[in-house]
Amino acid sequence: MSSRDDKVPKIMKQGRVAPWLYVAPALIVMSFFIVYPMVSTVLLSFRNADSTLPATAACIAGEPCWGIFENYRYALTSPIMLTAFRNNLLWILLMVSGTVAMGLLIAVLADRVRYERFAKAIIFLPMAISFVGAGVIWKFMYDYGSGKIQIGLLNAILKTVGVSAVSWLTQPGINNLALILVGIWMWTGFSMTILAAALRGVPTEIVEAARVDGATEWHVFWRIIVPVIMPTIAVVITTMVINVLKIFDIVYVMTGGNYGTEVIANRMYVEMYNSFQSGRATAIAVVLILVIIPAMIYNIRRFQEQEAIR
Amino acid sequence: MLNHRKFPVLLVMLLVISMVVTACGAKPTPVPTPVPAPTTAPVTQPTQPPAVQPTKAPAAGIDCMGAKAGDQISMLYQWSGAEEENLNKILKPLVDACGIVLAPESTRDQALLDTRVKAGTPPDIAFWNVTQLNQYKDLLKPLDTLGVHGANYAGYWQAIGTVGGQWLGLPVKADIKTIIWYSPVAFDAYGYKVPTTWAELDALVEKMVADGHVPWSLGMESGDATGWTGSDFIQDIMLVQKGPQYVDDLITGKAPYNDAGVKQAYETYGKWAKDPQYTVGGAKGTLSTGFLDAIYKVFADPAEAMLVKQSGFAGGAVKEKFPTLKYGSDYDFFGVPGAQGVQGGSDWMMMFSDKPAVKALVAYLSSDAGAAEWAKAGFDLSPNSKATAAYTDAALIKKGQILASAQGFTPDIGDTIPGGFGKAEWTAIVDFVNGADLDAALAAAAKVQAEATQ
Repeated sequence: MSSRDDKVPKIMKQGRVAPWLYVAPALIVMSFFIVYPMVSTVLLSFRNADSTLPATAACIAGEPCWGIFENYRYALTSPIMLTAFRNNLLWILLMVSGTVAMGLLIAVLADRVRYERFAKAIIFLPMAISFVGAGVIWKFMYDYGSGKIQIGLLNAILKTVGVSAVSWLTQPGINNLALILVGIWMWTGFSMTILAAALRGVPTEIVEAARVDGATEWHVFWRIIVPVIMPTIAVVITTMVINVLKIFDIVYVMTGGNYGTEVIANRMYVEMYNSFQSGRATAIAVVLILVIIPAMIYNIRRFQEQEAIR
Repeated sequence: MLNHRKFPVLLVMLLVISMVVTACGAKPTPVPTPVPAPTTAPVTQPTQPPAVQPTKAPAAGIDCMGAKAGDQISMLYQWSGAEEENLNKILKPLVDACGIVLAPESTRDQALLDTRVKAGTPPDIAFWNVTQLNQYKDLLKPLDTLGVHGANYAGYWQAIGTVGGQWLGLPVKADIKTIIWYSPVAFDAYGYKVPTTWAELDALVEKMVADGHVPWSLGMESGDATGWTGSDFIQDIMLVQKGPQYVDDLITGKAPYNDAGVKQAYETYGKWAKDPQYTVGGAKGTLSTGFLDAIYKVFADPAEAMLVKQSGFAGGAVKEKFPTLKYGSDYDFFGVPGAQGVQGGSDWMMMFSDKPAVKALVAYLSSDAGAAEWAKAGFDLSPNSKATAAYTDAALIKKGQILASAQGFTPDIGDTIPGGFGKAEWTAIVDFVNGADLDAALAAAAKVQAEATQ
């Protein structure tokens, strides 16, 4: 063993330095663009609005104060942030279940028709549109014409069937659902594509064996297909949860967070660029990271498990 | 088989990566770069076209204050293009008479001014916002030492420009927002008269409702800035009900934003903005109609409303949308009746140097001759009271009269209070119109006001 080792020229052996040289570019990029901004964000979240004093300076006498965590008091207890948390939760519940259910349904159904490619392309198309573009398109869909003419598609339909127009984006209770629908429309293609690929991976032998044994299509779907593709469904769900937690564009373009549609990421933007409260904005960013981390850990574990099976 | 399995994972990873990239990528950051403006050529040649003959006639009113030909003034301002040409036109008589050389720079970037001042190399003169007077108060030369014609400025202008007992800034340009646009044709057709008091306006609005017309077009949708149109209107109502001093107190934090006076203004506004009898579409229309559409609705055929409260730019918007309409007959404006002061934006000249050429410029712009030149150039309004009689543009003549009869000038409350109050004010207005409890909405804004003005 050792004699053979000696035959390898020294230059081909890995020393202590060489591995670092290989990782150095990645490490440099990582530290500049991820580690440094993150550390800086955390530090800024303990400073005041213009980062000149500790966050304690923002405390007002006679009002509750969390000292150095003052920005976190805002991020965790202010009414607008509570609204944002509630809305993000609503987004997660409806949009994640909506995209996964729709994606799975379409993937299963499209598998059985001749125009499969066309159907999938149509469903996937919204993914190619920018969020801002989609927001503008849907703003027209939801448009509430205050005058005699309704140019919004939905209100025009309501008008023709004799129902009075609805102000979709300003009416609390409806507006969040209207926004989430846009999100589902945009992201169904994503989950459909991944789930369709997973469906291809379901061994046909098992499916056929089940059919031979007399299983109905319903049983085949729930007892065989779903369990087999469960790991992929889990990955889609966690990816969607992360996406939805960061949701910003749709809300920003369509309502600007008004009318009770505020979400965490939009509030972060408002605090940073409208109100110039960098302390609060970074505190919200840190809270958002902390909320996302469990989903990310779960996601990475799933990847690793799948790699291990292989 | 293996390919089939690997595919979804790979796809997920690719998509996740692409999402991260797109999420981080395209954020348009407008980088205001200082645009070095062409320096005004030193005008020493007396060959002037006969149309403008400033060398002799206005020279009588121009005092060079000891400045010699070739003396240079460095200036920094935010104007460019046509605005810059206007300023050059206004300053030309002085340049011709005294041989002063102007070295201006144009930038929208306030950081440039800050950097220069902090580095100890400020321009001789900066044309900037009123807040900079306080910021640079220790470095600015008081106007009294610069030969200013103070009598040409109303007391409130001097008060706004005074910091720590010294008059530090000369207001040179103002634009007023306290106006209401209407269609004279429609007014004639229905026998309506332009109101001169708030009570008359109120009566006119009720008469329009009785006639079956919708009086107001109050739409204020403006993306994430929705609410600013309402904030302008509410501030005007405060100027009617409480006066300019009250608005100043709100800005300084002396009066809390949930004060009874604010509440009263909101209620006056809400009576109109939330009711489909008074405004197009009622509360929903106010929230979901774009502010530009709101302007068009008054001048479209058929018109959906009679009145729209909007700043001076509405005239340009109407002209662009309906090129056949004429200012004065098809669209026109009147000052908000009964307003004790006006609101608007103003530009201030502040002097970091007291050399003779700078004194000459201060003396000239504050003089009768300077006011006349400013008015003639049509570069918005001049706060110099001698400009009132000299405007040539029909709209400016009327705006000039509104400004001349005002007892105060207030900036936009939301723009002036820092730390997110502007957004909080819009939120209060939007929530109120959308049916939220007024006390709660105002309390939330007052909290931000207190934080910002403590």
